[in-house]
Amino acid sequence: MYDKKVVRRRRAVLGVLVALSIGLLTVYFGENGGGILHSFQNGTSAVFSPLEKGVSIVFKPVSNLTHWTGDVFHAKKENKQLKKQVQQLQAELAQNQTAQRDAAELRSLVGLPRSSNFASGDKLITARVISRSPTVWYSNVVINAGSGSGVHIDDPVIAAGGLAGKVTSVSGGEAIVTLITDESSAVSAEVMPDGSNGIVRPEVGNPNDMLLDYIDKGAKIRKGDSVVTSGFTSSKLDSLFPRGIPIGKVTKVSPSELEQYQRVHIEPYADLRRMNYVQVLTGNAEQQRAQVVK
Amino acid sequence: MILTPGTVVRLALLVIFTVVIQVSGLESIPLLGGTIDLIPLVVGAVALYGGSIAGAAMGFCCGLLLDFIVGQDVGASSLVLTAVGYFAGRYGEVNEPANALLPIPVGAATTAAYLVGTTIVSLMLSFDASLSILAFRDMFLTLFLNTLVALPVFALVRKIIRPVLTRDPLDRRRKRAQPIESGPIGLRGLGI
Repeated sequence: MYDKKVVRRRRAVLGVLVALSIGLLTVYFGENGGGILHSFQNGTSAVFSPLEKGVSIVFKPVSNLTHWTGDVFHAKKENKQLKKQVQQLQAELAQNQTAQRDAAELRSLVGLPRSSNFASGDKLITARVISRSPTVWYSNVVINAGSGSGVHIDDPVIAAGGLAGKVTSVSGGEAIVTLITDESSAVSAEVMPDGSNGIVRPEVGNPNDMLLDYIDKGAKIRKGDSVVTSGFTSSKLDSLFPRGIPIGKVTKVSPSELEQYQRVHIEPYADLRRMNYVQVLTGNAEQQRAQVVK
Repeated sequence: MILTPGTVVRLALLVIFTVVIQVSGLESIPLLGGTIDLIPLVVGAVALYGGSIAGAAMGFCCGLLLDFIVGQDVGASSLVLTAVGYFAGRYGEVNEPANALLPIPVGAATTAAYLVGTTIVSLMLSFDASLSILAFRDMFLTLFLNTLVALPVFALVRKIIRPVLTRDPLDRRRKRAQPIESGPIGLRGLGI
């Protein structure tokens, strides 16, 4: 049996810890990226970085084994899909090459400056994923490249295939990447070849299905169309992606009868749950900001 | 739980290794399409054996470190895990955790409470998040996997914190299992 003193102490501890958690949440949401909690978060992340790297390396063989087992089961299905995709891509390549030649010719005719395309002119930094967020709500990963390697906040991050996310926090030796599947993410996108603009938002818990909102009902979107970044994002942190980074392909289009927009489902090109290596496009965010200021 | 500097060091190391192994190791090992989540299990184990205050403190520290390391909303995980640790601890205090299979339901309950709590807090913090049905599949898989590994995880945690516990549940079990001594054959049943 416990006396009243013990009960009071127990409840006081619970109350203090809950109040402290709510207080931290309030301060965290209230402050900007350079606030005390954000800075402390960066510091803690940097301190634990060597330990995380060590653990990541120790667990790597087990991780590889489980991935390999899964890959074997998926290989046959994927092979079939890829063969079909290669055929489609070959046809698209021929079309694109013709279109590119035509476009270059037209550009030279009207004297337009050649715009920088995705990844051209930017330095690509390859980094390894050393830790991941355990909940489906927070899709963050930590990579082993930071400001020491030239990584900046808001730098776009790509995985094999397409856009993975953007850098939201940097310390000397590592950076936190918020993936496009994070519930706070919203990427402005363009559907190719139609050219319609919309916002790509995640469906929490399903990294293979994202929603492309705000596409007008009249736009002709087809299954298999490519979705690429259109040049800016809208999220808690205002930042800029360069135009033309592939995001995914359209898997389903369902026009809503009640709303004026279509509901477009897309499948990301990048395998965000199983990626081990990413590339950071450095320098672009600064350039984009400078352009916006001008 | 006896509060000494040694206890604090022991629990601090447990917090650090649990969180780091979870985010850098287990998160990259998919099993049956889901992953094991060590954090609610360890918090539940410390709470069950150490009591509600130790459970709440362990939950708070694990949640805070998780939020800091992975760049999540600071305070969200600690809020949920504090409550999970406290109530798991209260369960242990009221029910005397002597049953060897108790870690299974307690591990399942702490995991479920953590997953549901995180979802509720996240829904409250986000403005217009769209929740996929697959998120529930992930939750069920994590719950299933955590239930499977609850026994060894609780046993390991008990081994680590046993030196600082005021009473060891296993000792109580052993004492209870001792045979009743009796007198000579002719006097059995008379309590001699």
